[in-house]
Amino acid sequence: MASQDRLNTRLVSIKNAAASAAQPAPLLSVKNLSVAYGANRVVHDVGFELGRGKSLALIGESGSGKSTIARAVLRLLPGAGHATGEVEFDGREILGLPERQFRPLRGRAIGFVPQDPGNSLNPVRTIGVQAMEAASLTDETNAALRKVLILETFAQVGLDNPQRVYDSYPHQLSGGMLQRVLIGLAVLPRPALLVADEPTSALDVTIQKRILDLLTRLQHDLDISLLLITHDLAIAAERADQLVVLKDGAVQEAGKTRTVFSSPNSAYARKLHADVPALNPDRYAKLRDPGFRLLDRTSGTASKIEVSAVTKTFAVDGKVLTAVDDVSFSVPAGTTHALVGESGSGKTTTIRLLLGLDEPDTGEIAIAGENLAGRSQQQLRSVWRQLQLVYQNPFTSLDPTWTVEKLVREPLDRFKVGTAAERSEQVREALSNVGLGEHLLSRKPGALSGGQRQRVAIARALVLKPDVIVLDEPTSALDVSVQADIVEVLLSLQARLGLTYVFVSHDLALVRQLAHTVSVMQRGRIVEHGRVSDIFDNPQHGYTAALLDSIPSGISTISQTPPKAQPQAEPVIRTERRERIA
Amino acid sequence: MSNAYLTYAAKRLGQAVVVILLAYVFTFVVVSILPGDPITSVLRNPQNGFSEEEIAEIIAAQGLDKPVLVQLWHALSGFVTGDLGMSMRSNRPVSTLIAEVLPSTLILAGAGLAVALLLAMLVAYGTRFVPKKYGQGLLRGFPSLFLSVPNFVIGLVLIHLFGFQLGLFRVINPDSFWATLFAAVALGIPVSSQIAEVLIANLDKEAEQEYAAVARSRGIGQLKLFVSHLLKPASLPVVTVIALTIGELLGGSLITETVFGRTGVGSLVQRSVSTQDLPVLQAIVSLGAVVFVLVNLIADLLYPLLDPRVKILGGSKRRPTTSDEPSIGSAKAVNP
Repeated sequence: MASQDRLNTRLVSIKNAAASAAQPAPLLSVKNLSVAYGANRVVHDVGFELGRGKSLALIGESGSGKSTIARAVLRLLPGAGHATGEVEFDGREILGLPERQFRPLRGRAIGFVPQDPGNSLNPVRTIGVQAMEAASLTDETNAALRKVLILETFAQVGLDNPQRVYDSYPHQLSGGMLQRVLIGLAVLPRPALLVADEPTSALDVTIQKRILDLLTRLQHDLDISLLLITHDLAIAAERADQLVVLKDGAVQEAGKTRTVFSSPNSAYARKLHADVPALNPDRYAKLRDPGFRLLDRTSGTASKIEVSAVTKTFAVDGKVLTAVDDVSFSVPAGTTHALVGESGSGKTTTIRLLLGLDEPDTGEIAIAGENLAGRSQQQLRSVWRQLQLVYQNPFTSLDPTWTVEKLVREPLDRFKVGTAAERSEQVREALSNVGLGEHLLSRKPGALSGGQRQRVAIARALVLKPDVIVLDEPTSALDVSVQADIVEVLLSLQARLGLTYVFVSHDLALVRQLAHTVSVMQRGRIVEHGRVSDIFDNPQHGYTAALLDSIPSGISTISQTPPKAQPQAEPVIRTERRERIA
Repeated sequence: MSNAYLTYAAKRLGQAVVVILLAYVFTFVVVSILPGDPITSVLRNPQNGFSEEEIAEIIAAQGLDKPVLVQLWHALSGFVTGDLGMSMRSNRPVSTLIAEVLPSTLILAGAGLAVALLLAMLVAYGTRFVPKKYGQGLLRGFPSLFLSVPNFVIGLVLIHLFGFQLGLFRVINPDSFWATLFAAVALGIPVSSQIAEVLIANLDKEAEQEYAAVARSRGIGQLKLFVSHLLKPASLPVVTVIALTIGELLGGSLITETVFGRTGVGSLVQRSVSTQDLPVLQAIVSLGAVVFVLVNLIADLLYPLLDPRVKILGGSKRRPTTSDEPSIGSAKAVNP
């Protein structure tokens, strides 16, 4: 009996321990946080709690205040920014703390992984010197041992040649490697909290997956709490225990990832969910179907675009670089062909050849059955009129001093189309085609949103009534919801006007939503091509499978990671060959 | 020291030599096409009292009876070997005359540059660490203020204040330490304004870069951030500015010498102009070209060593532009 009693007491104490473990004090607790730049309030009464060893994602579009919240927690708000409210870290209010008392927490207790690896390290100092700053936050006082610690950390974050990285300057490394360095520097002093502000938005999709895997892994191995800032709901759902959905600086919805993701309560969270291409592959099925019917009908007849066995080489530092290697594809009229691949895969060179900006070394390109090679400049001009380009970044591709009207009218002026009255009529028509009102005619790009700018860019391409529009990553600089908007505009234009698109992207989820056929490019070659449904449902090439695997699916990876501690010196992930020092 | 760098250095050096020789030829041509033949007009000036034989002797000695091209060849080969000819006034070698006054000018110009750098650093440091309420704005106004004050005015004010009122130095002993120091201050202030202006603007720019925020997130304090992160990238363009201000330092030191009554290249120029001593003038003009070209050569050679991003391509330096272009990431960074 006595033993039974003892057992009971032990069971009770275990239960109590479990209960208190389930409700420990949060590591980071944010209450009523507001941030203002001068009189302009951008964050309104935001609150959330992040437990020890847990992860929480702040999700929202540009301007939702998610990065501002991160910077307020890190106390890195730019000059005019002022935060009010409460931010408690480890039971201590840190918002009002004098810098002198907060500084010991920087790096040691709160680490930061920034958004843009290319600009986040001092460009004129070696990685090693900057890593030493992080190493000096540890208890290690011996400089030689500090260096060992750094090299170990570099190996741990999957950098192949730590010594070489140590000696390098930032510009000598790729974006993926720099992000690994930055993650390494952030985790090296073993902080309790890691704030990662869009840590992958500047990276290719396969590198994005590896970096996120690395973060999740380190978080578990080193028992770090992760505050993840992202605009991608699928990434957030994959990587975080809890989600906080933000819009215009206010919380729309918050809660356990599974709940928010699978049954969102707020209209905004539902819209976010609907706008993520990876989660809604058939969202535009109706708009896209006419193209598939054309594809079935036109098989065998001449295509709008015929690229056959095109090769282009460049000489770089005396070495010959084959940017495009024996590339062939054809696009039937009224359909969308996607070129997919990572940076450096040759997609951009391919469209430059298609647009006649470069000439192929060998091979032929025909537009509407007319071969481009050996034509006079005059003849080429008439071909190019049928072929318009929409650039990647509407923030830099539109002259900021021009009005919308002038921007859209310019191609007409250049080709001397019609009278002045006809031109301005066509400008209005093109604008209404992309869903922009006439009241915008006199605006300049600075007074337009990102989505409106890209619509202007599309109108500019449309105004010459071309048959083919080349879309070079047309949405990669835009938020998901704006992206969904642009995709809808593009697809309805295609359905209405029978346009042929060549669509360049690294985003496979987006390709799956809007393309009919696809070519997957790697190192200048097409490794696989075919109908979108065939390629996506049944990839034949390993590279295609790897790309598909990199699409964030929104399915949590947290349960899949092993619970704890591997030997720390062991590299977590091996870097790929293409990520090596350039 | 890579092969590409050595090729680049050799190429730059060659260009510098060519520029110096061309500058010499140019001054020679300008002198020889000057109207009115100033040489003989000086010699035949009755006040000088040369006889016809003496004139013929001097003309023969200076080689002025030879064809122009031969004269140019003699002058050029003399210039290359360091023989700058004879002064027409004092009948002493031009190189000796210049050697007498050059050290004094070099000391002044060098001290002026040192003062300029020190002042620029102090002002730039102040704009980062003096709080707004203690006159940071005033410091930021300094460069444009002093840029617009001519250095002879500064010189006269300094002489009046420190020479006459405070008696720190005596005007009749212009080569004393204090007199040299204040001359250097007068010379350095306008030059420091140009350097400080560039330095302040660059420091502001660098402080806004993302890497500065990331460095702070690693617990770097303001002072260390300034010294070990911001100063170097912000100073790189200053190297170019310094090279460009050398002209100002040289010209300014001639004026400053006059204001402070120092004997230097300035006084030699003054004397030679008033007596139309052409060999001396030509030597000084060429010397100015040599200094200017040399300083710019040093700046060009230093730059690739200081800025690791500068790539040497086919003998010209080029900075990769990618880091300046807004990437996708930074376009998204617009997230207040």
